[in-house]
Amino acid sequence: MSWKAIHRWLGLTAGTLALVLGLSGAFLAFDPVQQAWQAPAAAGDLSVATLVERVARTVPGVQEIRHVPSGGIVVFSFLEDQAKASYVNPADGRVLGPWQPSALPRWVKNLHRSLLLGDAGRWGAASIALGMALLSVSGLVLLLRRMGGWRQLAARVRGSLAQRLHVLVGRVVLAVLFLTSITALTMSASTLGLVALDAGTEPEVASVAIGQAALPAAQLVMLQGLRVQDLRRLNFPDATDPQDTWQVATIQGKSWIDRYSGHTLATQGSTEAQRIYDWALVLHTGESAWPWAVVLGLVGACVLLFWLSGVVIWWQARQQAPHITGNSPLAQADVLIFVASEGGSTWGFAQTLQDALRKNGHRVHTSALENFQTTAASRQVFVLAATYGDGQAPAHASGALAQIAKLSPGAAPVPVTVLGFGDRQFGAYCAFGEALEQTLRTQGWPALLPLERIHQQSSQQFARWGGALAQALGEPLVLDHVPRVPPTTAITLVSRQEFAGPPESAAQVAAILRFSWPAQSLGERLRGLGLAHFAAGDLVGIVPPGSAVPRYYSLASGWEDGFLEICVRQMPGGLCSTHLLGLQLGNRCAAFIRSNPGFELPRTRRPVVLVGAGTGVAPLAGFIRRNDRRIPMHLYFGGRDPARDFYFGPEIQRWLGEGRLATLQTTFSRVPEGGGYVQDALRRDAERLRGLVAQGAILRVCGSRAMADGVAEALDDVLAPLRLSVRQLKAKDRYAEDVF
Amino acid sequence: MSKPLLTIVATAAALAMSTLPTVAHSRQVTLTAQLKNYGGDGAYLAAYLTDAKGAYVRTLWVAGGKAKYYTHLSDWNRLSAGDSKRLAGVTGASVGAGRALKVTADLADALIDAGYEIRIDAAAEDMRDSPSEIRLPLSSANSGKPQAGKQYIQSLTFQLQ
Repeated sequence: MSWKAIHRWLGLTAGTLALVLGLSGAFLAFDPVQQAWQAPAAAGDLSVATLVERVARTVPGVQEIRHVPSGGIVVFSFLEDQAKASYVNPADGRVLGPWQPSALPRWVKNLHRSLLLGDAGRWGAASIALGMALLSVSGLVLLLRRMGGWRQLAARVRGSLAQRLHVLVGRVVLAVLFLTSITALTMSASTLGLVALDAGTEPEVASVAIGQAALPAAQLVMLQGLRVQDLRRLNFPDATDPQDTWQVATIQGKSWIDRYSGHTLATQGSTEAQRIYDWALVLHTGESAWPWAVVLGLVGACVLLFWLSGVVIWWQARQQAPHITGNSPLAQADVLIFVASEGGSTWGFAQTLQDALRKNGHRVHTSALENFQTTAASRQVFVLAATYGDGQAPAHASGALAQIAKLSPGAAPVPVTVLGFGDRQFGAYCAFGEALEQTLRTQGWPALLPLERIHQQSSQQFARWGGALAQALGEPLVLDHVPRVPPTTAITLVSRQEFAGPPESAAQVAAILRFSWPAQSLGERLRGLGLAHFAAGDLVGIVPPGSAVPRYYSLASGWEDGFLEICVRQMPGGLCSTHLLGLQLGNRCAAFIRSNPGFELPRTRRPVVLVGAGTGVAPLAGFIRRNDRRIPMHLYFGGRDPARDFYFGPEIQRWLGEGRLATLQTTFSRVPEGGGYVQDALRRDAERLRGLVAQGAILRVCGSRAMADGVAEALDDVLAPLRLSVRQLKAKDRYAEDVF
Repeated sequence: MSKPLLTIVATAAALAMSTLPTVAHSRQVTLTAQLKNYGGDGAYLAAYLTDAKGAYVRTLWVAGGKAKYYTHLSDWNRLSAGDSKRLAGVTGASVGAGRALKVTADLADALIDAGYEIRIDAAAEDMRDSPSEIRLPLSSANSGKPQAGKQYIQSLTFQLQ
């Protein structure tokens, strides 16, 4: 079973019950705080003998003095059938008021440790604690996987509000939850009798009358030498029993003192198990450390947040689970399609392929890649494999490669054809597809077609592959894939800043468009409905009227800015740019957010080098706008004519003045002395760039493909003396491109 | 407020202790301990018998099942440490505040009016331990006479049959 499955099912079962423990635990955390607030701190250096003397003067019939975990001194006395417990001031022995072990009703504690079900309930609560420990461990594994390792743990969290809450809260309280579960198990082990705490039988002791009166406490040497801060409990000898002794309990153990001679009659050290238990008790309850109790209380309450967000996430995943229609049973299918998909979009391609093959009379079975196998009936196998992040397999198919490597194709091997899906922006483009292809060939599986790679879910590339497939199969086949557009939100144009195009093509105008989005209810946000959170550098998908295919624009603003801003240039005959540039203030268009995880800036204090050309400056402007921490950002901007296409020009100048931008280099290719292209500026600044890269600078490049290639080439030359290349920087997540 | 009677019948006749005087005739004794409403969790109680010198003779009843807490019944726990059968057949649930414990035991005639004492140790969670909460001489004169305990027991009565 995968970590994800373990986490999901434990969360839905044990997690639901843990809700009871978490909330009751949050209530119980009030006790140490209340006690600490109520109790006057003990004078730590005071000797116990002095304390006893003071207390004996003010409280008649003292039987026991306790130094309670909150630090207060509680005196138990018994006078005329009246048992009393009172706080006293150690400084003068004055009675301060009655003491109560808890301000909460008893049942809260019993609910917390036994679900009000007695011993069976204690086993139940211990099982829930074990479940909680496993949930914490599996949660940590999933968290690391999601964020991309320990070093990225603090990075920005993406997804619906429920997902973000789950992860954000998780990375803060996970360790405390784990500690709480482990300490709960430690305490359960002794309560349920699995571990013995006591140090065996207490010694047989008795005070021996030697014909003189009992010594007053002030003359007992041991009590004189014992400080109140080390005391746990002191029991007075019974007034009516001449043989009774003083009994002293400290963290180290117990001692018995003769009431006449003052000699220590016996001592008994605490066991190791007892010491561990004592620690577990403090860590679990926060008694004796009220700030920790506050932390524990908050973490207990967080269980509710975890449970709610977890259930919503589970429900969302269920709703979004791939639905393949027209699947034939595995044993009867002559064509098998196996899918590895992280976001789910690859399943859409599989459905298109399946539908096309079924039209030709094939019986097709589509399944997830981890179920890879062939049967006697299978004639063709297709593997549609997306690569996740930097060359990894999608989570559900993480074990598939190793599994296939162990599979033998048999005597009459069926051809297995791999189609890889990926994103050229990542260094390891379609790496998982390539690994599959290599493994299959090594194992001796033939292929109908060589490995083909599809960039950014391109329907055109997929259709071309369909053409090749039709030829190879010798049957007509058209793969007309319409990507499923995510649910869109209507955003409203609130301002536009126009730029006239170059003089030779008056049509090529551009504009910076600023939109607002509708307010969302909490329920919508939790379920990830409505516009997703975004940051500068993410993409907004715009679906123009009369088209099912979205166009993507880089965002020049983040959610915190309160507006959604893009920079759009009129493309010749462009459906979407025409639509956007034709919008009037107040007009609306359909949009959704697509995150661009490789491109965002990590939280760092290292210098940042931003290289943008034309409208490609938009996401970089967004980075600078949000540079509240004044990280040294250096912008290289390339345009044609400062009078026409210096997008965000005035803002950039202002940011420079505010220190959000450290330096600015501009080049304009169409004006004399303009400096040429942006890559020329990079070459001119080679020395400075090498310095920045040597300081660990992070580089972000945005513009056309041709521009990005030119920049990479220039930087490779610049970095050569450092024995560094763009490829190496990409592999270390220090260099990313956003190209269009 | 109703106080339901928690009745537990222990047949302790089988417990032939080496320390006992010759068992000629035995009598049944019924112990009833009514607890105060002390406002806490169920109390742990240990009822046991000591001889004229204060030495432990046998355990009559232990209410409360978790060995972890027996250290809080400190007199009984110490005195009975040598008795490996101290829990044999004489344990039950802890006794809630305001409730009553009623147990019966068979005692040899020779123990009555011979300086023997019935003692009870009591303790409740987060509250004070009360070793020798009550000490009641086992005499025919005391039979049927309720006596108050120090902290938890409102009245202890034993009834000789």
